[in-house]
Amino acid sequence: MLKTTFKNFSPAVEMRNPVMFVTEISMVISFIVTIDPRLFALPETPVYMDFYISVTVLLFLTLVFSNVGTAISEGKSKAITSSLQKLTATITAHLVTEEGVKDVKSSDLHVGDELVVRKNEIIPIDGEIMMGSAYVNDSSITGESRPVMKVEGDSVTGSTILLSDEMHMRVTQNPGDTYIDKMIQIVKNTTRTKTPNEIALTVLLSGLTLVFVIVVAAVYATSTAYAAPVNIMILIVLLIALIPTTIGGLLPAIGIASINTVSQFNIIAKSGKAVENAGDVDTIILDKTGTITIGEREAVKLIPNKNISVEEFATACYMCSIDDSTKEGLSIVKLSESMGASHDLPAGHQFVKFSPETKYSGIKFGNSYIFKGALKSLKEKFNLSDNFMEAVCKEISSRGGTAIPVAKDGTFLGVIELNDMLKPGIKDRINELHKMEIKTVMCTGDDEITAAFMSRESGIDNYVANSTPIDKYNVVKSEKENFRMVAMVGDGTNDAPALAFADVGLAMNSGTQAAKEAANMIDIDNNPTKLIDLIFLGKQILITRGALTTFSIANDVAKYFVIIPAAFYIFPQLAYLNILGLSDPLLAITSALIFNTIIIPALIPLALRGVKFRPSSANEILGRNILLYGIGGIITPFVVISIIYFLLGSVGVAW
Amino acid sequence: MSSSFASVGQGSFWQVFFVDHRAVSGLLIILIYLLLISIIAFIFSGYIADLYLDREVRLRKYTHYLIDFFEKLIGPASKRNMKFKEYMANLVFFNAVAAIMAFVVIFYFNRNVTPVGTYSVNLSLAVHTVVSFITNTDLQHYSNPFRFSAFAQMFGLMGLMLFAPVTGFAASLAFVRGVRTNEGHLGNFYHDFFVSLFDLFLPLTLLFTIFFALEGLPETLLYYLKITVPVTNVPGYLPLGPIATFQSFETLGTNGGGFYGANAAFPLANPSWISNITEFVAFTLIPLASIISLGKVFGNRRFGTMLYSVIMVIFLIASIVTFYSELRGIPVFQNLGILYSGNMLGKETSLGIAQSSVFNVGATLTSTGIVNSSLIDYTPGGILGIITGLLMNDPLGGVGTSVINIFTYVIFTAFLASLLIGKLPEMIGFKLGSKEIKYSTLSLITHPLIVLIPLGIILVEPFLVSGMINPEPQRVTELFYEFLTSASNNGSEIGGFATNTALFNYLDSIIMLLGRYLILGIQLYIAQIFSVRSPRGESPNTVSVGSSYFGLMLFGVMIGIGLLSFFPVLALGPLLSFANDLHLFAGVMVFGH
Repeated sequence: MLKTTFKNFSPAVEMRNPVMFVTEISMVISFIVTIDPRLFALPETPVYMDFYISVTVLLFLTLVFSNVGTAISEGKSKAITSSLQKLTATITAHLVTEEGVKDVKSSDLHVGDELVVRKNEIIPIDGEIMMGSAYVNDSSITGESRPVMKVEGDSVTGSTILLSDEMHMRVTQNPGDTYIDKMIQIVKNTTRTKTPNEIALTVLLSGLTLVFVIVVAAVYATSTAYAAPVNIMILIVLLIALIPTTIGGLLPAIGIASINTVSQFNIIAKSGKAVENAGDVDTIILDKTGTITIGEREAVKLIPNKNISVEEFATACYMCSIDDSTKEGLSIVKLSESMGASHDLPAGHQFVKFSPETKYSGIKFGNSYIFKGALKSLKEKFNLSDNFMEAVCKEISSRGGTAIPVAKDGTFLGVIELNDMLKPGIKDRINELHKMEIKTVMCTGDDEITAAFMSRESGIDNYVANSTPIDKYNVVKSEKENFRMVAMVGDGTNDAPALAFADVGLAMNSGTQAAKEAANMIDIDNNPTKLIDLIFLGKQILITRGALTTFSIANDVAKYFVIIPAAFYIFPQLAYLNILGLSDPLLAITSALIFNTIIIPALIPLALRGVKFRPSSANEILGRNILLYGIGGIITPFVVISIIYFLLGSVGVAW
Repeated sequence: MSSSFASVGQGSFWQVFFVDHRAVSGLLIILIYLLLISIIAFIFSGYIADLYLDREVRLRKYTHYLIDFFEKLIGPASKRNMKFKEYMANLVFFNAVAAIMAFVVIFYFNRNVTPVGTYSVNLSLAVHTVVSFITNTDLQHYSNPFRFSAFAQMFGLMGLMLFAPVTGFAASLAFVRGVRTNEGHLGNFYHDFFVSLFDLFLPLTLLFTIFFALEGLPETLLYYLKITVPVTNVPGYLPLGPIATFQSFETLGTNGGGFYGANAAFPLANPSWISNITEFVAFTLIPLASIISLGKVFGNRRFGTMLYSVIMVIFLIASIVTFYSELRGIPVFQNLGILYSGNMLGKETSLGIAQSSVFNVGATLTSTGIVNSSLIDYTPGGILGIITGLLMNDPLGGVGTSVINIFTYVIFTAFLASLLIGKLPEMIGFKLGSKEIKYSTLSLITHPLIVLIPLGIILVEPFLVSGMINPEPQRVTELFYEFLTSASNNGSEIGGFATNTALFNYLDSIIMLLGRYLILGIQLYIAQIFSVRSPRGESPNTVSVGSSYFGLMLFGVMIGIGLLSFFPVLALGPLLSFANDLHLFAGVMVFGH
């Protein structure tokens, strides 16, 4: 870190940041003055020599501090990339060829190769499961040690560990193009390139710096008119105090720190701009399942039809769900067992799998069947009609639950009530979005009644029920036509167009390749709720920049009132500008420079962590931040400079 | 006690109150002035909004013949839509033609034979005068109206006084159009020019010429009046001319170039408090109404109200600073125990301190620069209030430039405000990219740069200046003021040294040209960037430009940029003079004990 700090001293690096470049030039001049004040015809008394030395040291420290901030954040992002780089080490892969399984290096693999991965082995490269299902430990990427179930068609990431069973996979990325390689590349790139917003701010700061250079030159010129030219060192102090060194020094650190925070969130942002855009979102499109609700629906109640006993219904539920390995199915089996279902299966049974077309699943034996599924499809398929059961289904929907009717040989046996819980805390998050006046839209495949219930429960503004991926795209489009910035989450391939069209698209890592490519951010943890965190984060970055800029410029007021009367102490009449009443001019000037220097390390934690963001309306935030950083920025230096002056005086520094 | 005083003393309660509390009565006068211009500007802003929205104004029924005629005269160039480059090129070209014609008139056809001698202008003064009048600065390095023949006054100077504000308003039409629409162009300069001329400027000047003539301003082709003073029997020659017209051009066009050297401080140019108030209304009318109209133009009335409030707060503060400083006057006099009613030096007695203060502050807040009293006789505190407007490059602005100037401040503020609430920069529904921020920063820093650089050079090489009569702090103030007024195209002047020298004539000319065309160019370029964007509605979670917090911030930015750029020079100029006065005050106190 120390090395990076000093490497950044090179003028070539500082050139990119005009504020620090001016500081560096000033330091060089003050160094020369300190060595030989006669070169500039400046006084050489011990008092002045002390002053010159302190100015040079303080300028040096200003540069160090500003670079430390950058070095800390660069260090962090290097740590992230190097930990990723370790994962890309070459390992052995079992390649399936026509002659049988062959061991090759993972770096020699190609797209389309078929591999076998065995239990407890590291998956050598990105791919897609062709055969088999297994638990995978993603902890090397996500840090989450809970194993994840992967089935045929799911994508797996290289460097994760297969915990159980054996599977066949097809390579989908060439070595060097893998997910982790891309991550490393992205982290490296995003920390290096400036976002348009940073460019704008840099221009603004450069403009101010230019004005202050001229102002200070004009101060010199004016003082010559009184035949009392100001000491060059005092001018240098005035210049450094005036130019926005605080924000200038910390600007790069803020940018890199934000990317680091995103990485710590286990989100890969494809550019720094994407993160800033997240802060700018007006509308957020959320999926119901997994985002607003936990997404693991559980059977909570078995409601038998009239004339059907509980045990009979429980047995039927058991029979039609025993083959269903989804979480829902497992929970139904568990519940029906507890309700006294018998475990006997009829001879010659045959399981019917769920398909999106039929929308039901169950068991067949002889001419009989027991199916569970969507009410509508069961009714259509088997010409069923039962007012009582339909009413029960409707009632369950209106409570936000999901009703799964079970039918046997032309009659409804009963309804399984599944419940999907709201995620804990989601209501508060959505409430926060409301406070920020961000519009929320929920997309769900559920029916109208459930969707209405869920959006009412969670406080969502709008919902789209029975939604298909094309609906999502239409929502994005209509919001964008109203010039609103849209953020959304997606995972499936058919989400890709919407993801690409949205201003902020967060793809789930478990999603398809197309979705991940279309999105501008990828969440490794597959936690869609993070989209809300991203909005906070984006805002935080911008606020941090704005706050430090405002603070930095507001500080100038106090510095003027300290330095100008001190620099022109030869005019005792100007003492009324010396509102702090600092009687020792050189000490006052030094105190101002000390303030200017120490404020940078004092604000490094703020720059790296970001300004605390409390969700509320734009106007409230503006009012609060003007008070805090604008008015506060005017008052703070007055107080702190007085304290520094007093402390210096009390330890016996007197000039 | 004389009877006349007694009658006042025994008058009604309010009569006594207002005489005894001159601070209150003065403040009341200032408030009445500001209230009056506010009401008139609010009423007139609807008309200006229609012009900005390219709507057919009612007057067009009569003026379209004129507009069509002149557009035909210009030819096809007056028909096509222009992008920034072409628009700006035509604007500069058209101005240059006018300037050269005026120069020819002033320099070559201006050997003015008068009873008191033959006058002409030298090259540098001619250049300075032409540049000064075409850039809407109207800084005058001459004082005697006899310098110019009737012909040169009417066709040279008045022509330019018509040209400059009309060009400014045309530019603002283009600016607003660029921001408002998304067709990628700024419109047609010639069309904008003739619309501004016939639909706005000429009807108003006609109206105000009648007002002024009725209020007693001479409107004559008589060139001078010979007056023989009875006792000495020496004939004096009083210059005359179409002063009512001149005055309406000067004020409505925020020009500020006076027929007489003393400008509105000369009795014939401003004979009474009624003409004073009429002139005040005239020079604030278009700038203030244009700013208020922005609310209507962008469908966000609170935006217009916010801009109006910010300007008025600055106006009020500056007026009060000047008023109280003048009322307090020079402490020495007060402490000598003399009956002292404030600093009346250089002020018209019929107007008094309050009316002089608010008038001169208004003149520097707009780019008019008209004076109704002598600025060199103001106390340092009084100058501080008057200089406020110049520090901010005329926040209320000139005809047209008012809208453009304030808009650049708004962009700059919106950038910071958006960041503070965690949004990417946005204002009234427009996303702001790095380019807009870049150019608005550039246009805002140009002003301090073109003031401070020449000031620094002149101060380092003091031998360049001659005829300085005042001590050091005032000298700095005077020089500073000279460059400030040139850079902000204001034209108000303290003087105090020989300004009519080749150096100052040419240097000022360069500053004025940069202050006008460079800044205007940058600003129109911003409009060009906006011209391809379509606004989105202001969403609730963005910076609301109509909110009081935004107003507060805009106020802070305007004051801040002015103060941060100029504080040290202010400290060594007016603030030091101010301190010297205090010092003197302290000395007298000690002496008194």
